[in-house]
Amino acid sequence: MTAAVQVSSTVPFVAPEVATIVQGMTGRTGRRHAQLMRAYGTRIVGGVSPRSDSDKIDGVPVFKTCIEAVAATGAVASVAMVPPLSVLDAIRDAVTAGIKLIVTIAEGMPVRDAVAALEIVRSAGARWVGPSTPGLAIPGKLKLGFLPDVSLHPGPLGIMAKSGTLSYEVCHRLVGRGLGQSLWVGVGGDPVKGTRFADILPFMLTDPHTRGIVVIGEIGGSEEEELAAAMRALRCAKPVYALIAGRTVREGVTMGHAGAIIAGDTGTIASKTTALAGAGAQVFTRIRDLVDAVATGAGKAKGELVPPI
Amino acid sequence: MMLLEHDAKELLAAEGVPVPVGMLATTVDAEPPATLAAPWMVKAQIAVGGRGKAGGIRRAETAAELRQSLGELLGRTIKGQAVRACLVEQCIEGMECYLSVSLDATQGRLRVLLSSQGGVDIEAHAGRVLSADVAFKEREVIEAAHQLSGTMASPVRDTFVGAAERLIAEFFAFEATLLEVNPLFVRPNGAWTAGDLKLAIDDNALVRQPRLRDLIHRRAEAYPETSLKLDHGFDFVVVDADGEIGLVTTGAGLSMQMLDELAERGHCAFNFCDIRTGELRGDPARLVHVFQWIAAGPKVGSVLINFFAGITHLGEVAKLLVEALKAVPELRVPVTARLIGNGYDEAIAVFAAAGNPLRVEPDLDRAIGLALAPFNGPRP
Repeated sequence: MTAAVQVSSTVPFVAPEVATIVQGMTGRTGRRHAQLMRAYGTRIVGGVSPRSDSDKIDGVPVFKTCIEAVAATGAVASVAMVPPLSVLDAIRDAVTAGIKLIVTIAEGMPVRDAVAALEIVRSAGARWVGPSTPGLAIPGKLKLGFLPDVSLHPGPLGIMAKSGTLSYEVCHRLVGRGLGQSLWVGVGGDPVKGTRFADILPFMLTDPHTRGIVVIGEIGGSEEEELAAAMRALRCAKPVYALIAGRTVREGVTMGHAGAIIAGDTGTIASKTTALAGAGAQVFTRIRDLVDAVATGAGKAKGELVPPI
Repeated sequence: MMLLEHDAKELLAAEGVPVPVGMLATTVDAEPPATLAAPWMVKAQIAVGGRGKAGGIRRAETAAELRQSLGELLGRTIKGQAVRACLVEQCIEGMECYLSVSLDATQGRLRVLLSSQGGVDIEAHAGRVLSADVAFKEREVIEAAHQLSGTMASPVRDTFVGAAERLIAEFFAFEATLLEVNPLFVRPNGAWTAGDLKLAIDDNALVRQPRLRDLIHRRAEAYPETSLKLDHGFDFVVVDADGEIGLVTTGAGLSMQMLDELAERGHCAFNFCDIRTGELRGDPARLVHVFQWIAAGPKVGSVLINFFAGITHLGEVAKLLVEALKAVPELRVPVTARLIGNGYDEAIAVFAAAGNPLRVEPDLDRAIGLALAPFNGPRP
């Protein structure tokens, strides 16, 4: 079994056939999404539920602990469908059992828990995508989470997004223009998170299927600025198109996402736009403008036209 | 979320943190009690940094000056925030130090800053500020405060360290993401006072922070968004009380983008809204609330619904929309719904059976155009 994630950028972000377990699979949401992920093609090899008495649910074996599940199935990835205050425990259980990629869906994970989780995954050399994310996908092959099928289509674009719904909208329109995705990672809208934009960039730059990168950012935090720094450091030669939401938001007001808050000069649209544009990205404020630019191959400016599917 | 200074002080004073004697003034003629003698500091209660430099803090020597300062500050807008109250405090004497503990979200660590020369110009004297990056652990933060204060002269140092230990303990007890005390007054007799206090709390931790929950409930008027989320489980923010378009939207990012898209077209939304269609579960209550709140907007001339349903069935959502619109007859403006996802045809049938109480348009840009039609159509 190959590891799902490695630090080196010569391997994919995630293997499409990765053996995956679902933590919290016997809950209402967990069961539903496990079914949908399987239907999409994800190799769901087991579920974990400490309180479940049944051996199987919808034909998938259910285990009491992650350790049992990993021992029996060889899983290296997990999708945790557990409530926000249980996410930290779920991550600890998964990583202790040897899981190398964990996606946590729940919104509302306290910062202190996220910090503790980050330390756990870092010291284990694992990767965590979340919290508060619709997950990730390799369209047509793999879905870890619940990105909507109507927006998923195989194609040349790498997508990294803080916002679920805004990325659904953008990708739906791009698919309508014939442009699907090579890899789509929702990083979530929280301030402390497992995977940040800059962490994904190396994978998208080395992935031959990714010919353009779409960044769905928003006000707050410094992730877009970090991405800009990474674009410079890695001499990013693929066209990067960024949409940054929240230019009308006042300082100090949190807009739904815990991380979407402006404090002083950090987190502003101006700071993010300047950083990304300075690193060679095209930055947009309207969805339509971004979609038009990507679809009409505005990447020509960099000699990297993205051809339609 | 950043607490107002007055609330942060009340919270920490109850834990034994010394703060200046003060009162909260909401009117110009507020009279300080006998225990609160001149001179005073008059401080606008807004939850943003840089308040002093923006003119939000005054010193008043006499009752007349106090009245004048209150008159100038109350009702003013500073850094985009309306000043609804001022904290009137006794002036404190002492050495002005600085202490802050803040979250480095990128690294998941904490930054500790301290200085024996605090004050409003702290940023201008970065050279006087000592800093350390430490793990997110109380012991390590206290250790950093001990080390960084090593150059301070005794006995100031002992007092400062004692204060730092108390304050750091509160940072962790309340699951704060930022604690800044500037100035932190230190006196030769070993006493200290938190002159100003900034405390940012983690909204996601409120569920296990009963004291903070109580504070927000008690002071719901000062924290309308957070208190609404505690009560109703979703986000609704009045962006502009005079906004023209009421938004019923799901997803924080797309909802924020909707505000931007309307602004690009020269129009102002009344509200931000992340209703979370996935959590409706057959109950129209959230929709009813949102329609009611929007109906209360005096300038709202149009409602725009935007649901990009990944998983949620639109037929179900349509039934709830019809039910909710019926329950809020006071909402008399045209309603446009941009719907996309599973069950679109069922949704159309549900609306038709109900006599089409709203217009449906699957394309977002066209839906925005329809929603703006009552205002002489979309501007280029």
